Amino acid sequence: MPARAARFRLTQRMRRNATLIGLLLLPAIGLRLFTAVYPFFNTIWLSFHDWNPAFPPQQFVGLKNFQALTRDIAVTSSISFTILFVVVSTLLEIALGMAIALILNRAFFGRGAVRAVNLIPWAIPMVVAAVGFRWMYDTQYGIINDLLHRTIGVKVPWLVDFWGARAAVIATNVWKSTPFVGLVLLAALQGIPQDLYEAGRVDGTNRISAFFYITLPLIMPQIVTIGLFMVVWQLAAFDLVFAMTGGGPGFATQVLAYRIYQVAFMALNFGYASAISMVLFVVVGVASVIGLALFRKVEVSL
Amino acid sequence: MKSKPVTRISRRQFLKAAGLAAGSLSMGVGLSACAVPPARVPQQPAQPAAPSPTQAPAADTGRKTLVLAIQGFAHDAMKPVLAKWEERTGHKVTLESGPVTGNEMITKYAPAFQSGVSPVDVMSDADDSGPAFYRAGWMEPLDEVIPQETWDDFPESFKQQIEVWHSFEGKRYRVPHEFAIGYTFYRKDWFDERKIEPPKTWDEVVAIGKEFTNPPVFGTMEALIKPGLAFVYMAYLAAQSGGNLFAFDDATAKAFQFAYDLIHTHKIMPETTLSMDYTQQNEEYMKDHVAFMRQWPFFWDVARGNKDWYKEGRAEIALPPAGPAGAKSWWGGWGFSVPKFAPNKPEALDLIAFITNNENAPILAKGQSWFVMPRKSIMAVMGNEGLAVHMQRYAEANVPSPRPFHPKVAEAQSVVDDVATLYLTKQISLAEAMQQGKERIAALG
Repeated sequence: MPARAARFRLTQRMRRNATLIGLLLLPAIGLRLFTAVYPFFNTIWLSFHDWNPAFPPQQFVGLKNFQALTRDIAVTSSISFTILFVVVSTLLEIALGMAIALILNRAFFGRGAVRAVNLIPWAIPMVVAAVGFRWMYDTQYGIINDLLHRTIGVKVPWLVDFWGARAAVIATNVWKSTPFVGLVLLAALQGIPQDLYEAGRVDGTNRISAFFYITLPLIMPQIVTIGLFMVVWQLAAFDLVFAMTGGGPGFATQVLAYRIYQVAFMALNFGYASAISMVLFVVVGVASVIGLALFRKVEVSL
Repeated sequence: MKSKPVTRISRRQFLKAAGLAAGSLSMGVGLSACAVPPARVPQQPAQPAAPSPTQAPAADTGRKTLVLAIQGFAHDAMKPVLAKWEERTGHKVTLESGPVTGNEMITKYAPAFQSGVSPVDVMSDADDSGPAFYRAGWMEPLDEVIPQETWDDFPESFKQQIEVWHSFEGKRYRVPHEFAIGYTFYRKDWFDERKIEPPKTWDEVVAIGKEFTNPPVFGTMEALIKPGLAFVYMAYLAAQSGGNLFAFDDATAKAFQFAYDLIHTHKIMPETTLSMDYTQQNEEYMKDHVAFMRQWPFFWDVARGNKDWYKEGRAEIALPPAGPAGAKSWWGGWGFSVPKFAPNKPEALDLIAFITNNENAPILAKGQSWFVMPRKSIMAVMGNEGLAVHMQRYAEANVPSPRPFHPKVAEAQSVVDDVATLYLTKQISLAEAMQQGKERIAALG
């Protein structure tokens, strides 16, 4: 009997706890519902409608918006540049971030100051960086062309040329985001036990082989994590393109997020903008699935 | 003693139930929020609630604080007029810095208006945003608020523009306070030195431009960066070529070709203009790198405000060069309007009538060149000074041409912008540009 009574008391307490847990979770769940779930379902709903408040009424159009975007050169160009922008930026950020992390992981005089300086680009607001770089890339009086002209005697119309503008936008993004990647990889490097390197040295590894056979495998989970983070983050990039090129010349540097902004908030064409948002959602989803699969593979291989 | 059967709730069950409830709730909210908003009901024009200028404020109305949103540089010019209104009505007006482009107007205010609220009582609104706001039913009609004498103060040539850009379904929603026309600014000192006149035709633009071009000095320059600025220049050239810009007709093709030739064939305009904004363009001019250029009226004050650089003759105004359809320049501009959801709507309607009346329009114009318009009341006071002289000159020469209109103005302008920059950066041919422009405009419906 005492055992049953105790179980009963326990069950009552559990029930009370469940109610309490439910009540405590409710604000957080409610917040997520109204800030993530509701907008998401509303966007799906709107993507099947023709809805521009300046041209009422709202009408169900089925897949018309999705059909239209396959023929819309502005959208197809945006998709191609978005993918290029994200892939190239992420690869460069990881490569350069790794180099920075390896340098900052070594002991040298003034390392603290160098680590702080490394973070400056990351601390600068993107719009400020974008406007600054727009001026720096100017063909006539920009510092980059001035340096090129003084050293090798050429001037490149960076923001006017199709590939020049793409390179300039990607380079600015890499300059801005690499310090963050470097910081994360530095933290990962500091977690590697020194014993492994010593053991490696006994086995005859040099610095290069130690990097490829000890360092890289051990920080691979962090590389994949930060890579996935940067991919998803940069798929939604908007401010850089907005302030630096306006998506031009033509559609050369137009990213999906900027196109969505143009259609939704400049043209008030919410239905069509929702359809483009769904494309972005699919791209983010595919990237995330690939990233997670890669992450699992890396985890297993370790 | 038999205890009651106990229903255990596992964590999984709880999460399932909570998830289900949350999902149903979100779907319910989502579906209800996506419901088609009620059809617009024709509104009764609001009556001006406040007394006429000669009457004292009503004793039973509480003092209110209104918000007027307008670009920051115009605040000082607004203050004397607002002080008069505050004294007359007993209310107070707070000035807020408004957006500087029509696109920003939409971005900033559309979400509020869509939700049925307004953060401002009176606002200065652009051509690019105003039509979308009226069509959406977010603005208050002004026909019965603005006295006829105010409308009559505008010249006859304004009527068409007011009917197209400031009205919707026969009702007026915005009172113009700016006459933005592309002026031709030129270095009179340089031209006098060479004993030549500013270009009067497209051919002369090329010939004179070549004479001055010696990088970093160029004959002419135009900021063409996206978004919006390529449209401005193409509309300007299309007005001169006689093109129907949004139809991408043959005359529009001539305008595109001319812009291309200035940059790539004759090289009297630098390629870098394609990535320039107005600040950069003006900087280039004031660094003595440009002989003549199209620019908005604000450059009049910008040039004269640069005390270190400005001397008489460095930023004079000439008539625009004539293309196949003559010496034309399109005009547009900003105007005052009252949101339907203005927190203090009756007072806001009285305020807009006051600041736009024939007595106060010249006071605003004296305070800031942005408010200078060819209104009779303004010309009577300022017709012999400053920018107003050139405004009259342009009007007498029949230069002003209407701004190209499309019901989906922002999208249509964006098409021109895209197609022009694609063509001017050699990504597509002229034929492809015209074809793509036609198709994309047709797709707008």
